[in-house]
Amino acid sequence: MAADTSGRTFSEYLSHHLQNLVYGKLPAGYERVNKDGTVEVLEKDTWTFAYSGEEVSEMGFWAFHVDTLFFSITLGAAFLFIFARAAKNFSMEKPTKLQSFVEMLVDFVDNTVKGTFKSAKNTLVAPMALTIFVWVLLMNLMDLVPVDLIPYPAELLGVPYLKVVPTTDINLTAALALSVFGLYLFFSIRSKGFIGFIKSITLHPFGPWMLPANLFVELVDMLAKPLSLALRLYGNLYAGEMIFLLIAGMVAWQLTFSGIMIGILGTLLSLAWAIFHILIVVLQAFIFMMLTTVYMNMAHEKFEQH
Amino acid sequence: MDLNATLLGQMIAFGLFVWFCWKFVWPPLLTAMEERAKKIEQGLKDSEASAKKIVEAEEESKKMLAKAKSEAKQIMDNAKAQSEKIVDESKSKATEEKERIVGSAQAEIEKEVVNAKKSLEKDFSSNVMSAVKKIVSKEVASNDYQQTIDKSLNEFRK
Repeated sequence: MAADTSGRTFSEYLSHHLQNLVYGKLPAGYERVNKDGTVEVLEKDTWTFAYSGEEVSEMGFWAFHVDTLFFSITLGAAFLFIFARAAKNFSMEKPTKLQSFVEMLVDFVDNTVKGTFKSAKNTLVAPMALTIFVWVLLMNLMDLVPVDLIPYPAELLGVPYLKVVPTTDINLTAALALSVFGLYLFFSIRSKGFIGFIKSITLHPFGPWMLPANLFVELVDMLAKPLSLALRLYGNLYAGEMIFLLIAGMVAWQLTFSGIMIGILGTLLSLAWAIFHILIVVLQAFIFMMLTTVYMNMAHEKFEQH
Repeated sequence: MDLNATLLGQMIAFGLFVWFCWKFVWPPLLTAMEERAKKIEQGLKDSEASAKKIVEAEEESKKMLAKAKSEAKQIMDNAKAQSEKIVDESKSKATEEKERIVGSAQAEIEKEVVNAKKSLEKDFSSNVMSAVKKIVSKEVASNDYQQTIDKSLNEFRK
């Protein structure tokens, strides 16, 4: 990992690792600063990869984190491929190890959902919970890949930035949370009716004479759901990744001062954190699934006048 | 925090993944698993029932065996009695037969004896007659007929 030190300070190393690979549009007239210091003025709007933080902020909203999209979609596709294959080759008499593993996960999710989600009519919630659990778990597990293992060779190949853990990208966690929130609203309105839904956010919890207060409380309560979902996962994984980066950086930058002992210490710290992080990785995936199921259950609850 | 269009891309990806899982992964897996659970339940029930049946069958076979034994004993007894009866019958028949044969043989013998006596008597008289004839003819020639008669009688006695 020490190879990354060439020409970079510790804080540059950190910020480099915390920057996604962005593909977006630079406007005409933008002055690109090349690596050798020369300035290139763009003649027209250009879709390109961002090579610096300034370029990223210049690209604005219509830009894509290519690394997040690539790793998340690859992992999600792998998950679905493996599970679909296990479903297709399902054998009652001779289950393969893969099948047993898949069954174990499906059974686990099914039991969890059945324990929480009481509306048996809705068939979407359980498969969604499975998707969330396995997909988020796979993405979180990317955190256990040593921090420079993929980005460093990629940089040598000319990829300016690379974040391999999709769940450390707020875009991904927010996308999941907003999708879940959208479904929450959809199912709420479907099960309570539009009028019932309006009633549930206006006549609750203080009664009709306190309508504005009710609306305020309920809206805060409602908006807190996607926000907490998105930020919890993002924060946990971002912090975990940050610790790995700090340990790796400490090894890389302190090695020259204090010798090999710091290196060994750093490796041990990294290992210890990785082992502890396994817990967080699984737990966060489970929590996301669990809360999604709880919200779906709330959406199906009938409105009751208190 | 840099929210950008990645958010939309991820929402689409998530939607597609959930849809795929909902349509093509979850239902076949769950139905297969439930089906197997049912199968196992049924299998356990069946094995329990068949175990019961085995016990019943064992009892049944014991009963049948006992019945067969008693029947066999009865048959044996019957056969013994029958054979004794047959033996007795044949014995009595044989005795009867023997008596009949012996009786007839005796009758035959008696008849023979009578016949013999008769023929003897006949012989005797003819002898007497011939002796008489001889005597008579000798009387004519000599008078020693007494001697001749004695002779004949002696012959006869012999």
